Amino acid sequence: MTTTPRTATTAVAGRPGTGRPAAQPATRTARRRGHEALSGYLFVAPAVVLFAVMGLYTVGYGLVLSFAQWNGFAPNWDWVGLQNYKDLLWANPEYAPEVRDAALHTLWVMIAVPLLTVAVSFPLAVLLNSARRMQPLLRSIYFVPYVTSGIAVFFAWQYILQPDGAINVLLKSVGLGSLSQPQGWLGNPHTALPTMIAVTVWGAVPVGMLMYLTGLQSVDRSVLEAAQLDGAGWWRTNASVVWPLVRPITSIVVLLNLRDSLQGFQTFLVMTNGGPGNHTNVLGLEAYRLAFLKQLAPTLGLASALGWLLFAAALVLALINLRVLRSRT
Amino acid sequence: MHIPFTERCAESSDVSRGTTGSGRPRRARLAAVGVVTVLALAPVAACGGSSGSSGGGKTLDMWTFKQSHLAGLKAAAAAFKKQTGITVNIEVYGPDDAYTTKVQAAAKTHDLPDVLEVHSDGEDLVLGSAGISKDISSDVGSDWSGLYQSSVQQSGTVTAEKYKESLPTDSTSHGVKQGQRFSVPFTSGTFGIVMGNKKALAAAGITKAPATYEEWLQDLKATKAKDPVNGGLSLGLKVKSTGLTWAFQPLAFAELGKDDYHALFSQDPAKDLASPNGVKALNLYSELQPYWMPGTQSLDIDGADQAFAQGKSAWDIGGTFTLAFLQQNGMQPDDVLAFGIPGPAGGAVPKPALGPLALTGLAVTSTSTHQADAEKWMKFLAQPSVASQFAKAATEVSSTELGADAATVMGPTLYAMTKTFAGTPENTYDPSDNSFRPAGYDQDSMSDIIADLTPLHQKSAAQTGKDMEKLNNSFWKNAQK
Repeated sequence: MTTTPRTATTAVAGRPGTGRPAAQPATRTARRRGHEALSGYLFVAPAVVLFAVMGLYTVGYGLVLSFAQWNGFAPNWDWVGLQNYKDLLWANPEYAPEVRDAALHTLWVMIAVPLLTVAVSFPLAVLLNSARRMQPLLRSIYFVPYVTSGIAVFFAWQYILQPDGAINVLLKSVGLGSLSQPQGWLGNPHTALPTMIAVTVWGAVPVGMLMYLTGLQSVDRSVLEAAQLDGAGWWRTNASVVWPLVRPITSIVVLLNLRDSLQGFQTFLVMTNGGPGNHTNVLGLEAYRLAFLKQLAPTLGLASALGWLLFAAALVLALINLRVLRSRT
Repeated sequence: MHIPFTERCAESSDVSRGTTGSGRPRRARLAAVGVVTVLALAPVAACGGSSGSSGGGKTLDMWTFKQSHLAGLKAAAAAFKKQTGITVNIEVYGPDDAYTTKVQAAAKTHDLPDVLEVHSDGEDLVLGSAGISKDISSDVGSDWSGLYQSSVQQSGTVTAEKYKESLPTDSTSHGVKQGQRFSVPFTSGTFGIVMGNKKALAAAGITKAPATYEEWLQDLKATKAKDPVNGGLSLGLKVKSTGLTWAFQPLAFAELGKDDYHALFSQDPAKDLASPNGVKALNLYSELQPYWMPGTQSLDIDGADQAFAQGKSAWDIGGTFTLAFLQQNGMQPDDVLAFGIPGPAGGAVPKPALGPLALTGLAVTSTSTHQADAEKWMKFLAQPSVASQFAKAATEVSSTELGADAATVMGPTLYAMTKTFAGTPENTYDPSDNSFRPAGYDQDSMSDIIADLTPLHQKSAAQTGKDMEKLNNSFWKNAQK
């Protein structure tokens, strides 16, 4: 903001015939640039320091911890090398089967959530894009799940899904009582995971829908008109013209949801804590349990190792996604 | 705590604005950068820590995880202040998991109170080994420990057995030394207590406690038949260990007797959980399957007790500590028929007793600068006159020996529960005895397996036994490394 007048003054001072030596402006410019650089560094310093402390240090600490046995409070770490990784993957019957089950559940979530999110949010965005009236209002309404406080909403879902909750009552009242779940939707091992997937999708659709809506609004109308002139109907236009044009958005929506599915666990922690039994345990929740819910057992290293395994999986996914994006766009 | 910081920040901002206005923009910019940097780092550097425990020498802070203890503790604190001039501030954080997290976080930030209420003979030793609570063994003499019931006088102490359990490096109490003491008992009792809603029971024609497990199953059938929706049994099975420790284990003890029950957790394939004995005990437990209240597997302990108090179930499995929670939720003790889980008629121990144990204790934190005052407060709570007032206010069994006054203090329902304590060593199920299990045994992992038998009905008793045997053997293998 103060740069413009100062620059102008310097320029005038440097002009021939002003009676000032040429070297002085050059020195002043260098000094000014030095000050500007210093200002810049000082402005970014807080972020760099915070990243170094909260990011690099934490990541490095976590990596080292993954080779140790520690409860977070004991004065010394017991070094175990790769044993934590072995225990999680196959060696320890206490952890390996739980991790395997959690990995399977996570895989289901990773397949179902991105697919369903795309399957719901794209048509929703197309419909919303064609709504001429009240589009901002409808957009806001569809976005409500995303901005509502997660924990409160997930508690509300718990009540809705109980044996005497709203969904069972609704099903019975419309004559579909045979579909209701007497043990509640989260109490039956066969419906608990699909229900959790549905709740996760419900939370993911708003962002997906908004991203598609943004993409749809940037589609060149002449392309759509050309398709219509060629005789394409609504369905054909959307399937053969619009859908390929928003493919990059689909990639982003899929990637974001894959990442959330791989690492997210808050919904599962609040709504089921991995239950009933262990039928909705996911890898993120297992890592959290090992770190914080083991009554100070020395399992922080195991939690860290599981976190690094998740990171490796996420990295592979990101690379695959990059490869797919590069070949398609 | 944050107000002075805000004021300092406001002053700094004013200074920077003054400089800008003086017509020296470069300095102003640098000053602004400096202020921004300081402000950004201030939360980390200046305001990141906290001062520790309570401020004045005559003030103590105490945390508890039991809402039902708050009123009784506050009343005791008022009497303590009158007697000693020391103020005790009591705060409650719940549920248990949140409390555990709170304590761990506070330990990391050196913001612990002076006194913690802890789960006895487990959590207290864990906190001791982690350096969060102090070893008070040298201060608790017989004049103090003698105030407690004889069965819990040693609670909080690292006995030879506890020390042996702590030896494996993956033990939660690894590092403690024999003879150390990290808590004194506060409340006592037991779990495996069945509670029936007298009104619902009367509607089904039940007026007295069942004498055998078979009779109880008949009673469950009757209440379920009378009210198929609300006539079932609730238990907070979302908390993993409840089904295993509150129901299966007392039943298995009654069915098999002490030695064969202990052998279930041994490495002997002829007697362990996959053996005919194990399958018999698991089958017995799975007979509860038709009677679980809908969705009880999704409820935590408070949720299951609440469902019972609200009339959504006719029966509830809990402990002596449940009555206080039921009372908080509008149910009067007189509305409850309470009895210990009865043994099967043909079992080795048809009339088992449930051994009492210290449920919660009091620990001094390692960061407390008022250890002497903290211990004075803990000893004050152990005095019979104080303990009986607390027991009455909290509807809890106090660890202090109350003698002949116990029945009057606790009321008839709670006192009836304590009658389940009376037994011989042979016919008493002792939930605190872990001597027969491998060090490092994790009940939560075992509970995940047994949940698939009942209430989830996913596996047979034989398969459940095999899976539990496999896990149990791995605990032994780890323990013997």
